[in-house]
Amino acid sequence: MKFSALLLSALALATSLVAQPSSTGPVPAREVVQGADQRRREYLARIDEGIDWRLAMVKPGDPVNRDVIALRLARRIDPAQCSRDVIEYMKEPGNGPFWMFPVVALAELGRDQLTPEAKAAIRDGWRKDVQWRGDTENHWAMYYTSLYLMSELYPNEPGNTWYTGKSSAENLAEAREYLIHWMDLATTVGQGEFNPTHYIGEYAIPMLYLSTWAKDPAMRQRGHMMLDWIFADLAANSLHGVLRGPNARTDDTSVIERWNALATFFNWINFGDVPPPAGYGGWGIHYFLAAANYQVPEVIYRIATDRDADYTQRDLKRTRRRWRESSTLFDPVYKTSYMRNDYAVGSFQGGYADPIQTHVWDVTWDVADPRGVHNTMFSLHPYSSGTGMQMYFSDYPEPMIHGAVDLGKPSYDSPDKVLGSSPYEQVWQDRDTVIALYDIAPGTRFERVNGFFSKDLTNVTEDKSGWIFAQGGKTYLAYRPLASYTWEPSLNWKQLPATTGYSWTRVDNGDKLLNSPHAKNGTIVQAASASEYKDFAAFQAAIRALPLTFSLAPVPTVTMTTLRGTKVTATYGQAPVVNGKPLDYAATWKLHEGPYLNAEKGGRKLTITHGHLERVLDFNTLTITDRVK
Amino acid sequence: MPLPRLLALFLAATPLFAAPAHDLYLCATANKDYIVGAKLNTMNGVLLRGPDDTYEPVGTNFPGIYDLVVDPRDSRVRYMATLNGVFVTTDGDRTRRVTTDWSVTEPHGICLDSHNPDCVYLATPDGIVVSTDRGATWARRETGLPERGKYTQVVTADRTKAGRVFAGLEKGIFVTDDGAAHWRCVFPTVRTVVDIRQSPHDPSLWLAATEGDGLVRSRDGGLTWEKVTTSFPEQPVYNVSFDATNPRRLVFSSWMNGVCTSEDGGTTWTTRNIGLPADGHVFRVAVDPDTGRLYANVHHNFIYTSTDFGRTWLKQSLAGAIVYNFVFVPKN
Repeated sequence: MKFSALLLSALALATSLVAQPSSTGPVPAREVVQGADQRRREYLARIDEGIDWRLAMVKPGDPVNRDVIALRLARRIDPAQCSRDVIEYMKEPGNGPFWMFPVVALAELGRDQLTPEAKAAIRDGWRKDVQWRGDTENHWAMYYTSLYLMSELYPNEPGNTWYTGKSSAENLAEAREYLIHWMDLATTVGQGEFNPTHYIGEYAIPMLYLSTWAKDPAMRQRGHMMLDWIFADLAANSLHGVLRGPNARTDDTSVIERWNALATFFNWINFGDVPPPAGYGGWGIHYFLAAANYQVPEVIYRIATDRDADYTQRDLKRTRRRWRESSTLFDPVYKTSYMRNDYAVGSFQGGYADPIQTHVWDVTWDVADPRGVHNTMFSLHPYSSGTGMQMYFSDYPEPMIHGAVDLGKPSYDSPDKVLGSSPYEQVWQDRDTVIALYDIAPGTRFERVNGFFSKDLTNVTEDKSGWIFAQGGKTYLAYRPLASYTWEPSLNWKQLPATTGYSWTRVDNGDKLLNSPHAKNGTIVQAASASEYKDFAAFQAAIRALPLTFSLAPVPTVTMTTLRGTKVTATYGQAPVVNGKPLDYAATWKLHEGPYLNAEKGGRKLTITHGHLERVLDFNTLTITDRVK
Repeated sequence: MPLPRLLALFLAATPLFAAPAHDLYLCATANKDYIVGAKLNTMNGVLLRGPDDTYEPVGTNFPGIYDLVVDPRDSRVRYMATLNGVFVTTDGDRTRRVTTDWSVTEPHGICLDSHNPDCVYLATPDGIVVSTDRGATWARRETGLPERGKYTQVVTADRTKAGRVFAGLEKGIFVTDDGAAHWRCVFPTVRTVVDIRQSPHDPSLWLAATEGDGLVRSRDGGLTWEKVTTSFPEQPVYNVSFDATNPRRLVFSSWMNGVCTSEDGGTTWTTRNIGLPADGHVFRVAVDPDTGRLYANVHHNFIYTSTDFGRTWLKQSLAGAIVYNFVFVPKN
């Protein structure tokens, strides 16, 4: 082959790689990469792919872009130009934690590359404008990690050189104290904002930066251990690269198209078992900057990719901090995940765990290519309440509803929403059975229950028994509404370009909503693998034959025997009685319990296991211990 | 009577012609349509009213300054309740220091004891925090507060008694007589008390705005409280203000009823919304202590003013503003 042909081939390859990164490429093969060296090579290749893709998008004359500067610094490309661009960028600095941590990356990556003038421009940004700290745990994880790293980078400087008015040492001490406090909470009583589909980035990226750039070895170790903890949790709650089950926070898109989430980016980069979301979820760019300094250990990799048995994982999480309307500062969240090869069922016990974007339970099925597929089934009470939000926010109730809608949560006050938790929902799960009961107080906004029926279901059948049967992938599904209902389109939310604020439109993609307009209500869902039955009719016959009685007054109650033989009586407002014994969540749930993740409440210690592999993260001793059993 | 003396009496009795004795500061944000990362000009923080009723920022452009109190001995010494905790400035907000630590967040109210201005009180979502050294250090002072239900929106010092402060909590109005060493409940509520004001004319007269009990009043210096009968008691009241130029004039704001005024000392009340947006979402009202002019902020809208105690309103300025507090500070 002549040189020119080689060159053209190389250019064509490069062009195709840029035009078609993994997000639009073929679905990765479901093969476990056995060799550590190959896993490392493939991991680094994914990082390179993302950086290449973003840098290839830059056109001559483009305005200065902070993320592009950071990527060039990471690649050590033209530091003189980077310095000029930093100075230009810092003429109009931003504010708040979402701005702070990317600028920390500029500062850290530019330590040995940027000119003194560029460094001074960054440093000056941390003197002049008071940075907004925010009011959520993810804000504070970003804020205090950023303040910590900058204070370490510029030690021994007086208070008048920092926007806080505090010296480097004072900033460092405050940031360190908060970060350790947050880690203590997460490793003793559970993570708040648990299993988020997007906000996982707001935790993982700061922890990556802490583990990469902290000068204090103890804080570096803490960052590394928290990353392991977060990704172990992600691995155990994901199936074929897609995060399943409940989320403290998700959004109107990710709740139905489960693949389309930043969590998928982290599955892709860590495990390579799924296409990443478009643009690497946006936030992936920030992760690429330091990703080479971290890689999940083999034990976590194998939890995500190498499973040969069904399992139940129980995890203890916690609500967001409750300011009022509550007898506790945090309430425990008792999560259950049942994972099989064909589907996953996940839930927590219900209740108002987070104010605006919570997803409480679902059955999600596996598909060969998850992109664009709404592979989920669930129901919810579309709760909307300003006074309810006051539990979590220090604001007035009436403006908060408008505020939530205006600030990127468009469905919050819509009766047909499919996102959100409710104080009037109580959920029980045993493996692939879910019972959700609703007793909505009179006068509550939206006295109805919404059941989500995906466009991607097949064989949807309303049976005269009262069950609705359907099939999703290789999963048979049975949905039993406990009160009458009608069908309506389930319109999706699509964000439109906007120069200011947010703009949305509703789109009918073919999903259906089961609207059951009754305050006393309930849903039962059963799932099974198609391979467990001769055919769909046999599954339906088994469901019809289940012992089941229920009533809705004075409170909803269900007594049934599940497909797996568990006998349960679930009554709204009472502990479920399972095989004759009341279920005591507080006594039963550990911090993590399952075949892969185990931790005691209050222990600050997680044992991660797969086959012969074991890693122990011990925050009491700040040690990571690996062993082969 | 000689003419100059007549003129002097006329000027004294006609506040509109007198030089203002107070500066008006807003604790506000004016950033409508701003989303994280957007390139929009925003004006947030503490804004000072100029002579032509425009507002200029003082200090930092920070979204989330909710309240401000100024040391009566030195107007350059200021304490701000902010999303990040307390900002303290000693140079008129050219520079500032966050003097609270990470555990103090989102305080919405701040006051100081005029008898002992070194003593500063802070209303936070998880209780009351006090500084006795001009904001240098802070400590929680919660003896007598409920373990839960101590969300605190507002603190107001009694100008006539040292060490006496009222606090608006989720569970009611609480008072201390010993500089926050002990608190006791003087009016229980099930929802938050959001504003507490002392009459500038009669220090034994107090009004409080609540989310669940409407407007409440004390005539005995805050020992006992009663609900004020209005024709719309079911609506949450957002804040309340006395008119320092006229003891019979009172005003409160509400989300549904807009501006409500009384000109007979609170016996009867009238909605006064002509010229305000139809939705009536009035977030804050205030009365200029020098002129009796009414100010109203419609949520995420404008500041409106009225020179006839609410009968007519004029749109003034600050598009998209949320005014957390109108703070009138004596000039010195």
